[in-house]
Amino acid sequence: MNQVAIAGGTTRFREPFGRRPDAKSGPGRSAAWLAHLTGGQGVGGSNPPAPTTFVRVASPARRDLKVCHRRPASAYISLVESMTMTDGAKDPRLVLAALASTRPKLELGSLDLIFLSALHLSANGAALAAFDEAQLLNVFEQVSALLEPHAESPRRRATHAIARLREQKLLARVDGAGLMRAGEYALTRLAAAIVESLVEDETLTRENLSVLTRSLRLSLAEILTRSAEAHTPEAWHTAVEAPLRVSVSDLVSGIERRQRSLDLEQQAFQVQIAELLQSDWFGAVDRCLALLESTSATLAELNEILLRDASELSSVLQDIQDVAIEAGATGAESAVQRVSEQVERISAWGAARQRAWSEYYQYVHRYLCDVVRLDPSRALIARLREQLSRHVTRPFALAVAAAPSPRLLREVEPFRDHKPKVSRPRAERERPPAANDGPDPNAVLEGLVLRALAGGSTGLCDVTRQVSADVADELQFVTAGRVAQVVARLAHTTHDRDRPWLSVNADLAIEEWRLVEAQRRG
Amino acid sequence: MADTRFITLGDVVADEQFPDVDLALRRGRHVDREDLAWYGFLSDAQPLLEGFYRRFGCELIHLVDGYFYLLPTTDRLGRRHLSVPEMLVGQALTLLYLDPATLQHGGVVKRSAALGHLAAVMGSDSLTHVFNPKRKRVDERVAEETVRAKFSEALRRLAALGFVSLLDDDTLRLRAGLLRFAEPVRGRGSPAEALERMVARGELVLGDGSDDAENEEPELEPSSLEPEPIDQEPVLQRLEPLLDGGGAESADLDEFADFGETLTGHEERES
Repeated sequence: MNQVAIAGGTTRFREPFGRRPDAKSGPGRSAAWLAHLTGGQGVGGSNPPAPTTFVRVASPARRDLKVCHRRPASAYISLVESMTMTDGAKDPRLVLAALASTRPKLELGSLDLIFLSALHLSANGAALAAFDEAQLLNVFEQVSALLEPHAESPRRRATHAIARLREQKLLARVDGAGLMRAGEYALTRLAAAIVESLVEDETLTRENLSVLTRSLRLSLAEILTRSAEAHTPEAWHTAVEAPLRVSVSDLVSGIERRQRSLDLEQQAFQVQIAELLQSDWFGAVDRCLALLESTSATLAELNEILLRDASELSSVLQDIQDVAIEAGATGAESAVQRVSEQVERISAWGAARQRAWSEYYQYVHRYLCDVVRLDPSRALIARLREQLSRHVTRPFALAVAAAPSPRLLREVEPFRDHKPKVSRPRAERERPPAANDGPDPNAVLEGLVLRALAGGSTGLCDVTRQVSADVADELQFVTAGRVAQVVARLAHTTHDRDRPWLSVNADLAIEEWRLVEAQRRG
Repeated sequence: MADTRFITLGDVVADEQFPDVDLALRRGRHVDREDLAWYGFLSDAQPLLEGFYRRFGCELIHLVDGYFYLLPTTDRLGRRHLSVPEMLVGQALTLLYLDPATLQHGGVVKRSAALGHLAAVMGSDSLTHVFNPKRKRVDERVAEETVRAKFSEALRRLAALGFVSLLDDDTLRLRAGLLRFAEPVRGRGSPAEALERMVARGELVLGDGSDDAENEEPELEPSSLEPEPIDQEPVLQRLEPLLDGGGAESADLDEFADFGETLTGHEERES
């Protein structure tokens, strides 16, 4: 049975009454719709309150996706993540097609990004839930003075910047007062995510990974305890499903987010090592080795924690799932499944990254030892380049072994073909002539034709019928041809335009020749 | 030899790695540390295998760069010299291997980048001419297509020899064996002297190696079962005039005398 509820942070929602969320004309609940992106759930506007978010708890048997209205990119990103994480039955191509149909885009310059960052930091520092217009202008002027100190008309540029951010759903008006008073604005979830990725250090460390996994274990243990006491669907939803979907899932997502940050950090390390060698060559060896060692140690520690804690988390999740299955709580079961998949993913991440880093580590280590240490003056590249450029005029060729492959004899079984073979007959087609003392068959045939003609036959069909009366069936056709030959020689035929086909017997019909003179020629 | 797991040659031959490693070495494969099991086997068995292969007229070479290969000193086992495209592509890949920028991707480069690097060093016209040596008038598009085809073919052969690993249609991983292409310019002395020593050891021949009958179509596949004509004249005998300071090869070596000044500050790299 489908349910409808209001909740924040979900990705399945639609505007009430089919109105587009970004519609420009007419009154509506855009502010309220946008507000929930910032974390304010169910914010009411000037119009009568109505749900801005609809959640349909899909039953396992029916998990089809309703294509939604146009929505900001953040919602779609969350939707795609949600789909790929939870609903294996959903086809990501459908989600991407829906996303493509909306053609989302972000166009942010340095000024916009720093403005957003300044708003985010100001809100955190002063514990502001929203900014009024004066505060927005003030922050923008500070940013503008920092970035473009000589720019003119800061207020006008602030107006344009705020308009740009609102158009791209990065800044939302949250007061809903309309024309009644100046508005209040807050950063959307998308803006917060962008700023956090820019300014906040969320790299996975031993400390924060330990804290996160410990919190996860505690949360799951508490959920397991509550699940044993839940006896109604409402209790299951409140005690198990909701905590799993919100708090536990957020904790796991936090680990994943930090993993992605660590991936970026490793990429930066790789770039840094290459740049160090480019700039300092031999002098950079020790720093490169130090970077390699520190990153390897970090990865090893993280992987160790993940391996140890992931098994414990999976065990508790399995216990919760067993209880949910026994109680028939499908919603809780699917929530457990989702968290389990996330835990498996973060566990697999550790092994994969350690393996990849190990390959990179070995390669760089070999490079430092074999190339850099043995060529401290870095002359080898230049000399090799010169050798290559002159190779055409002064060629040489390296020798390599090229032994032919050994002959490996094997037992060969004769090919057994059960199909009938197509072959020529071995016997001679032409039989040698043999003496035959019997009557000449042609003379006999001619005699029979003459007798028929003399008997008054007026047509070829009649003659043929008489001659072939005693002939075997398989010779009827040949006999008819020979009779026609003899008749043509011995009698005259008329030249009718249309010669009828007449039956000689049941199996043979011939073209009728009407005979004019049934007598021998000459 | 006390620290190895092999006491006698019989132990080496009885090892399950031996047939694969032996066949690979005889086909010109360069075995480096990425071939973890093979490299470990060869490291352990090296003292025993050196004598073993010497009886076949080959030297089992192990360079400090971390790779093994079999160097034929006679033609008893069969050998070939790399073709011009293989040499050019090999040197271009070596340049990429030495480039610190390649480190960022762990030695993985794109084919297009390798071809672009080769064209940048040699010049596009020169490269096109080298890869289309028998054509006097050639359509530009056809010539470029030929360059790409020969480049791909050279890559495939270099991969069979263990110089690179082809990861997919577009990327390849550079391997330590490529440093063999840089050997003539790694020594302390001039490249001409290094070449002279390498020619004397049978590591390379001057010229494009076109005299090598196998060079046109080296067949490393098992289907190549036809016996190759064996030149019974040992390489070292052919090199005697050169070592004595006479012969045509000496004149060839003179051409290498004017580039590559003496390196200082690092050790001689000859093994």
